[in-house]
Amino acid sequence: MASTACFMIVSRNDIPIYEAEVGTAPKKEEAAHQHQFILHAALDVVQDLAWTTSAMFLKSIDRFNDLVVSVYVTAALHTRLMLLHDSRNDDGIKSFFQEVHELYIKILLNPLYLPGSRVTSSHFDTKVRALARRYL
Amino acid sequence: MADPAYFSLRKMLLDEITPVVMVLPTPLVEQRCQKNGLSFVQMLTPFSVFNNIDVPVRTASDQPYRLQKFKLRMFYASDIRQPNIEVTKKRLEQVIADAGNNEDSELYLDPSSLEARSTSSEPEFVPTWFQHFNKELVRSVSFSDHEAFDHPVACLLVVSSNDEDPISKFMDLFNKNQLPPLLNDGAMDPKIPKYYVLVHDNQDGSPERATKILAEMRNTFGSNDCRLLCINSSQGQSVDHQPNPWDPYGSNASPGQHLGCLLNNEDMDELRNFVRDLSSKDIIPNMEQRIRVLNQQVSATRKGFRNQIKNLWWRKGKEDTPEVQSVNMYTFNSIESQIRVLGDYAFMLRDYELALSNYRLLSTDYKLDKAWKRYAGVQEMMGLTYFMLNQSKKDAEYCMENAFTTYLRIGTSGKGNATRCGLWWVEMLKTSSQYKDAAGVYFRISGEEPLHSAVMLEQASYCYLLAKPSMLRKYGFHLILSGDLYNKCDQIKHAIRAYRNALSVFKGTTWSHIHDHVHYQIGKWYAFLGRFDVAMKHMLEILACSHQSNAMQELFMRDFFQILEKTGKTYNISRLQLPIVNISSLSIVSEDHRTYGSPAAVSVKESVWQSLEEEMVPSLSNAKTTWLDLQSKLLPTKLKQSNVCVAGEALKVEISFRNPLQLSIPIYNVTLMCEYSENETPPDANSSSSVNQGVEDGKKATGRESNSDTSLFTLSKVDITLEGGETTVAQLSVIPRKEGLLRVTGVSWKLSDSMVGFYTFDPDLITKKLSKQKRKAKQNANKLEFLVIKSLPRLEGAINNLPSTVYAGNLHRLSLELRNSSEIPVKNLKMKISHPRFLNIGNPEVLDVNFPSCLEKKQSYAHKDADLDVTKQSETVFHFPKDVVINNGTPFLLPLWFRAATPGNVSLYLTIYYEIEDKSTTMRYRTLRTNHMLEVLPSLDVSFFINPSSSRLQEYVVRMDIINRTSLRNFKLHQLSSVGNEWKISLIESLNHIFPSGILVPGQALTCFLKLKNVKTSETDTETDVWLGDVSNEAVFDTQRAPLVNFHHYERLHQKTAHQENQSTVDFMLISRMEESENVPSDVPTPPQIFSHHACHCSVSTKRPIWWLLDGPRVNHYSFSNSFCETKLKMTIHNSSSFVASVRINTFDSPPGGSPSGNKIGWHDMSTPPSLDDATGGRKLLESVPPFIWSGSSTTRVKLEPNATTEISLLVTTFAPGTYDLSNYTLNWNLLDSSDSEEKEGVCYGRPFYLTILGEE
Repeated sequence: MASTACFMIVSRNDIPIYEAEVGTAPKKEEAAHQHQFILHAALDVVQDLAWTTSAMFLKSIDRFNDLVVSVYVTAALHTRLMLLHDSRNDDGIKSFFQEVHELYIKILLNPLYLPGSRVTSSHFDTKVRALARRYL
Repeated sequence: MADPAYFSLRKMLLDEITPVVMVLPTPLVEQRCQKNGLSFVQMLTPFSVFNNIDVPVRTASDQPYRLQKFKLRMFYASDIRQPNIEVTKKRLEQVIADAGNNEDSELYLDPSSLEARSTSSEPEFVPTWFQHFNKELVRSVSFSDHEAFDHPVACLLVVSSNDEDPISKFMDLFNKNQLPPLLNDGAMDPKIPKYYVLVHDNQDGSPERATKILAEMRNTFGSNDCRLLCINSSQGQSVDHQPNPWDPYGSNASPGQHLGCLLNNEDMDELRNFVRDLSSKDIIPNMEQRIRVLNQQVSATRKGFRNQIKNLWWRKGKEDTPEVQSVNMYTFNSIESQIRVLGDYAFMLRDYELALSNYRLLSTDYKLDKAWKRYAGVQEMMGLTYFMLNQSKKDAEYCMENAFTTYLRIGTSGKGNATRCGLWWVEMLKTSSQYKDAAGVYFRISGEEPLHSAVMLEQASYCYLLAKPSMLRKYGFHLILSGDLYNKCDQIKHAIRAYRNALSVFKGTTWSHIHDHVHYQIGKWYAFLGRFDVAMKHMLEILACSHQSNAMQELFMRDFFQILEKTGKTYNISRLQLPIVNISSLSIVSEDHRTYGSPAAVSVKESVWQSLEEEMVPSLSNAKTTWLDLQSKLLPTKLKQSNVCVAGEALKVEISFRNPLQLSIPIYNVTLMCEYSENETPPDANSSSSVNQGVEDGKKATGRESNSDTSLFTLSKVDITLEGGETTVAQLSVIPRKEGLLRVTGVSWKLSDSMVGFYTFDPDLITKKLSKQKRKAKQNANKLEFLVIKSLPRLEGAINNLPSTVYAGNLHRLSLELRNSSEIPVKNLKMKISHPRFLNIGNPEVLDVNFPSCLEKKQSYAHKDADLDVTKQSETVFHFPKDVVINNGTPFLLPLWFRAATPGNVSLYLTIYYEIEDKSTTMRYRTLRTNHMLEVLPSLDVSFFINPSSSRLQEYVVRMDIINRTSLRNFKLHQLSSVGNEWKISLIESLNHIFPSGILVPGQALTCFLKLKNVKTSETDTETDVWLGDVSNEAVFDTQRAPLVNFHHYERLHQKTAHQENQSTVDFMLISRMEESENVPSDVPTPPQIFSHHACHCSVSTKRPIWWLLDGPRVNHYSFSNSFCETKLKMTIHNSSSFVASVRINTFDSPPGGSPSGNKIGWHDMSTPPSLDDATGGRKLLESVPPFIWSGSSTTRVKLEPNATTEISLLVTTFAPGTYDLSNYTLNWNLLDSSDSEEKEGVCYGRPFYLTILGEE
């Protein structure tokens, strides 16, 4: 079954530093901005929810039609990992977030990476896509 | 009880849920009223709202209270029915369209900032037509049969005094056929109270007739229910009412007419009193009465334990009945309907407690009956009642949600009701500031109807904005959603408004797709509306859409250019995003006293040039001060630091453009923007800013109309086509024409004819960049400012025929051509070459002679010495002859010899210094710097190994290895020469035997042996050359002449190694020529490719200072019958060192090579075969115990003076015939006075010397 999934890492000041369409559904032109809009709007909800819980994985926090937004909040630089998806696989999503978080920390450890700047590592990209295939 | 209705929902409910009065007028009444431009209902409407009616009412349980605010809704009987869906839809669309058009004016203003919005109170920015729209939506579901508050509570029968037979008219009016379906189909009680009104038009005459009719009416219908209403009392002149009470209601009147123009103040008072009496004396008491009656009925049938049980029982029994019947199940007689009426009446009379209890009762009934629509209606009313009671907010919301979901569940018929319910719910939430929830409800209201959804989503977005804390991103998102829906319904103006509001959230966002989408849509819509200028502003934002897919980029570009074309204006955009200017790539080359022969020369490090020039230029720092001193007298100190360029010479600027798109874009007229100021003093710091401002405008002019400015400076124009993702360096230039101050301000380009982009260079940024590049880092002056000085001569030079790819060793004759295009001659030229190994300056006469035959050996050595002079000179700086002056038009040619010395990539630097004859100029000298890149391919590898000859002293065997390292070319060997007069070489064997062809093909290796002999004393001709070619008819080249000797000189210098103290070295020069390749057409006479390979400092000396030679008979015939054979040998020892040497010769009887440590002379331990056997291989076996012994003294010691030779005789005794290897001896030498510890002493092992003894019979 074709699924939609859009993964994004949002850094301080709501600046997206990484984005990837990891779904299996064929890519549509208008989907790109629609996904961004939904994720962007969901930040409002994250802002409220993030301080009410100590968990990093916030589960599904927002929805638009049949698309659900799951968010994982990290401690570093107010970075949020956001996933827009239409599947209902909470455990998989949680594992996905945890592993991507680990990858992201490795990126942060790179002394040449300026925190808060765009993640351009192709290695990171392939790893994320592989994780998406495994868990989502 | 009557709360002040300051909450909007309260106000709305008090407006909407009020008693309805049905009006039935005769046509004549309408006609009379139309004189005022009003219908009868419209005329009454302004007076049916009471703010202080003060009517005493009693509740059902006899609690008295007073009604203060009250309102009647008047409707014609024909209007009391469910509104037509299509008509409603049209009306709603009209409302939206009107609203869109009204906003026209502010559509093009900049949206107000978000901060201002969120702080200001709601009505200021939420469009006011929302209220109107919502009201219309709510009204679209009025007069439903499941609710009672829209059922008329009274009926007005209106007859004009002019009507024929008014009494019968009254009777006719309440005719079944004209009554609304509500009364006819039994949903409500047709026996409603009727009131009879006689309308008299005072313009028709005196009211006598009217009073007569009234009396008649009173008789017929009862005195209480009849009234007389006189209108149009105004005589002749029209009355202008200020403020006009009908303005909000009169909809269909023609604009010129004054509403109510014939109604004077008395008429208005009468109207007001009429309605007031009607409500306070008749309608309200009537309703009160009705409530009492109904309450008693309900109490009797439903209240109390017994009734409840009965009811439950009865309903259980009804469960089997099919649901289809439920529509007509509840007639006005049914107890359910009566409860509903009771509840609604109580609600309308503000007896909310009573209403609530009845609604509660009813809701369980309907639920049990599965009458979902009615159930939802009751739930809705319960919610509202809770709200009006201002208690239990939770219950209220629960009821509203329940009602809403129930309405939605029943499908299309409940949709309108659901919307109304939702709207009320939203208002309820807003009242308690639950904006976030309210937004959610709005979102739920938005259904399939795109237009409604758009409005609802827009309202939802405002709720998000009002929420605390405000949810701006949700606000933006919902505005975008609603904008898209507006667009779908062709409400472009609304769509633009929504998007523009959203823009305040998304402005400057880094979410690239959002950014592009918003700007692209707004731009497109503005273009659709014909506002191309505003559209352009948004389209410009999406130019750098590198993250978009190819198709989207094409779409963007196409629309962009379409809109641009339609705009018909020319745009000058600063920092246009297409293409992107890479400012860090900016490099400006100005030529002051340093001039460059080629662009490549510019990029060479300044330090390279300076090291080359430092000997030629009088003294760099000194020179600088000379002309700067001169300047400092003429110019203010500020300018001393600015760059200098010469009038008429191009100032070259390189800047790279990057195309962010995947499409290829052509850009035209890429040119520099420059400012020129005549006066040489720059403006003060204070005024400079204002000047810059002024120049801003003029700048574009200079950029475009560069032709008109030719008197001041000339700009070059370049057209570039940038492929997708490509970065291209544009080379631009400006040529100043006059002395003054030139400033490069930026670069401009044309994306299309009407789109000009420019980029202004920020001086601060560039200063940093340039200061890194240039050596003059200390100066923090503006690097974009150039002082233009008077035109100067500029020498241009080029080396003719310099090949870019050569084979190593190739020898060429070239010429350097110098030109001066100025009128002023230059003189005193000097030149320096960075690699004299490669380039050599020839004599002027070389230009005329024939190459390569000029190299051939001749008998005269006349100018040999002169050449050597050149050799010495060119080590430093080559001075051109004093009389060389280069004038305009006559090029000067200087011959050069070129030889590719080593394989690899080589940069040759050449600087030429020249002085300007005209003393008045500010610059006295200039330098021309040229740079040539060469690729040198390997050709022949030549190596020499020299071994002392073992048979002769002072003679050597030379092994020459030649390998052809090329891949394609054949070489023909020409000659091998030893340079100098000291060494004589000759072939050991004829080359024809081993190398018959004489041609070395690619990859072929050749080894040949030569004999080398030292001839110390000879002054005359020695045989220094060996002919290697196949036929000896060609002349031998003279290695003692230029240029071969010069190049050899540099090779010697280059190949010099650390230990070159020994004088006994030999230099070889191999000369060969390349076979012409077959594929070159032969008709072009190519000069023969001469190659020379040099091997210098080939040492002839070995490490040891001691040479020796064992000599004696090799074959001896001897008869062993009498005794053993003794052979005499002679050893010659030579000391070649400069010290006195002591040499000890030890002879062993052990086998040769065995145990060379040799203390145990005379016997050999057989049990321990020496481990050094490996060194001699399997040659030695144990049974070959030497059948010979050295006789005579086993140790001999001699002392040798430096360069002295001595002879020692040795004796060997053999016992049997055979061949013996006499190598088992050592020479221990010791230099007595040498300070060098390494070379102080050593041991030499014997060399094989084979002695054959033959037995003699």
